[in-house]
Amino acid sequence: MMSRRMVKSAMWLVGGVLLLISPLSPAWAAAPPWERVEAVRAVLGGETPVPGGIRLDLPLVSQDGSAVPLTVEVESPMTVDDHVEAIHLFSTGNPTPEIAVIRLTPEAGRARVTMRVRLNESQSVVAVARTNTGRFHAVARDVRVTVSGCLARGNDFDDASFMLARVRAPDRFSPGQPGEVLTLINHPMETGLRQNGDGNLIPQRIIHRVVAEVNGSAVMEAELHRSVAANPYLRFFVAPTAGGTLAVRWDEDGGESTVQEVPLRLP
Amino acid sequence: MTRGRINRRQALKLMGAMGAGPFLAAGGRIPPAAAGGSAGRVVVVGGGFGGATLAKYLKRFDPAVEVTLVEPSRRHFTCPFSNLYLGGLYEFDALGHGYEELVRRYGVQVIHSMADDVDADARTVRLAGGETLSWDRLVLSPGIDIRWGELEGYTRAAAEKAPHAWQAGPQTHLLKKQLEAMEDGGTFILVAPENPFRCPPGPYERVAMVANYFKSHKPRSKILLLDAKDNFSKQGLFLDGWRHNYGEMIEWVGRSHDGGVVRVDADRLEVETEFGTLHQASVLNVVPPQRAGFIAQRAGVTDASGWVPVEPRTFASRKVPGVYVIGDATEAAPMPKSGFCANAQGKVTAAAIVADLAGVDGPDPSWANTCYSTVAPGYGISVAGVYGVREGHIAELAGGVSPADADAAFRRREAEYAVAWYRAITQDTWGTA
Repeated sequence: MMSRRMVKSAMWLVGGVLLLISPLSPAWAAAPPWERVEAVRAVLGGETPVPGGIRLDLPLVSQDGSAVPLTVEVESPMTVDDHVEAIHLFSTGNPTPEIAVIRLTPEAGRARVTMRVRLNESQSVVAVARTNTGRFHAVARDVRVTVSGCLARGNDFDDASFMLARVRAPDRFSPGQPGEVLTLINHPMETGLRQNGDGNLIPQRIIHRVVAEVNGSAVMEAELHRSVAANPYLRFFVAPTAGGTLAVRWDEDGGESTVQEVPLRLP
Repeated sequence: MTRGRINRRQALKLMGAMGAGPFLAAGGRIPPAAAGGSAGRVVVVGGGFGGATLAKYLKRFDPAVEVTLVEPSRRHFTCPFSNLYLGGLYEFDALGHGYEELVRRYGVQVIHSMADDVDADARTVRLAGGETLSWDRLVLSPGIDIRWGELEGYTRAAAEKAPHAWQAGPQTHLLKKQLEAMEDGGTFILVAPENPFRCPPGPYERVAMVANYFKSHKPRSKILLLDAKDNFSKQGLFLDGWRHNYGEMIEWVGRSHDGGVVRVDADRLEVETEFGTLHQASVLNVVPPQRAGFIAQRAGVTDASGWVPVEPRTFASRKVPGVYVIGDATEAAPMPKSGFCANAQGKVTAAAIVADLAGVDGPDPSWANTCYSTVAPGYGISVAGVYGVREGHIAELAGGVSPADADAAFRRREAEYAVAWYRAITQDTWGTA
């Protein structure tokens, strides 16, 4: 049996070896978070993001990691010649890094999205935006996640509301001017990482796609991953040039889909 | 503890007994007291659970510290147990606590005035009357302010029609009067905010207490709780307790079921939710978005969130040297914004200040919290937590809630413990049970 001192030395040794070979070395730690996550580097494909032009809002401290509000906005004229094509959101502290990919067209009018995400622990959240001209913007924000003792939470999903969806658009749009659309769907967003009472993993079952179409053409398409909070809540912009219909469709892993339509009114 | 002065050596011993290992180890020589025999001047702003406790314990740890407490009210009416007043289980007058013990027994100077401004460079506080107080250390325990207008339509004027009753006093009376004037068969709507806010279990205890009043006086009435959150404190225990005591009277609508209120029309007692549903109330109680009390903003200790970041070990401001902030105004999560936490923070920060003035390291902090909620007469539930500092942050080291399957005798005992807790903590804070 090893003495406590020996155990301690052995741990130091292991720690020392790790320091040499692991990405915990100081130079690595000083790199921006988007250079430290393989999934983020894959999106960048070797490109260096231009400074600024993107904002990521998260609370400094969240008392409920199961649903942390997140807003990302990219400065962009959202014209055919110059617009944001995709915004990628990443967690650096969850079991899997991808949170969501939001694909936009110029008809969105404004590159701003609000949603609620799951954060397992205190960490950096990273947003990377790609424009149609091949430009990248990136930003990282630190969030401290605590679960307050007075906030111990229940874990029940109300099955009766499964796939119940809601959409709200502004009462009236000005032609070509962006207005914010709110969407919400009741879904447990089962991560695939949770055990049931018998200790077996509950299979992943999430809403994996949300598509918004204005008069039949896609304006926003969101690819969601397990780090999106239960009951996916998504706010985005549309800038219709004519009246008509906004249709939002949600697809989930169990093969179910639902569509909600709301009128778009212009003067 | 016997009455009268304790010397500095006794104070240090006392702090050692509180778990002040590093304090004694690092102790060394205690520097001589400041000129004039004073060990330093401390001004405390706010005489609630945090400020009153801190003032008392400063004098207990070191009577040579000059302590001045600035508090506008002659009696502080507590938010804890104000829900029991609404429910008909507690007298309003029993919620009021004065400052006689602090003055007479502990030698705290109490000034009944409002602190208007802080000059951190000159180390002064200006009072509403124009008077200026000098300090070596300043403690702010200002509680919360309402973010007027943050929720569309919810202004000071609106609160006169749709009370918040989240600061005990006239607002509590107004809500009670409205409930008494309501006809049987009416709808009471409570609007609950996003985190963080004062007293996380408060909205859920409040609807239970209103239900208790309705049950015996207006049994055909309904209660609707519209919530900006999907999870809340002691959720399972509250949902069970509501059903057990009040059947279907209370309906809770979480944010993912469109419970988030985005607009209040206080004249019509109407609220609009995120997805456009309108709800009409007979009595409308809005628990609005909040931030640190006014003087914290004047002192420059708040951050973009509106709350106050603090050093976890001492609750010293991270932004302004010499200033400490305790209680609901701080970002102390996972500690909740509760009276019990403010009381615990008052003691730990008093020890930290005495140590700081003496030029030595303060004790390792440990805080505890219990939130009792009364669901019905003889039916109580609780959550408890123990907190310390780990890796530079406040962390919950132990804790839990009442068992889900407890029997009636257990719930009855917790309701009794709630009353005993209230008497004990108000005795500890103000010397008035």
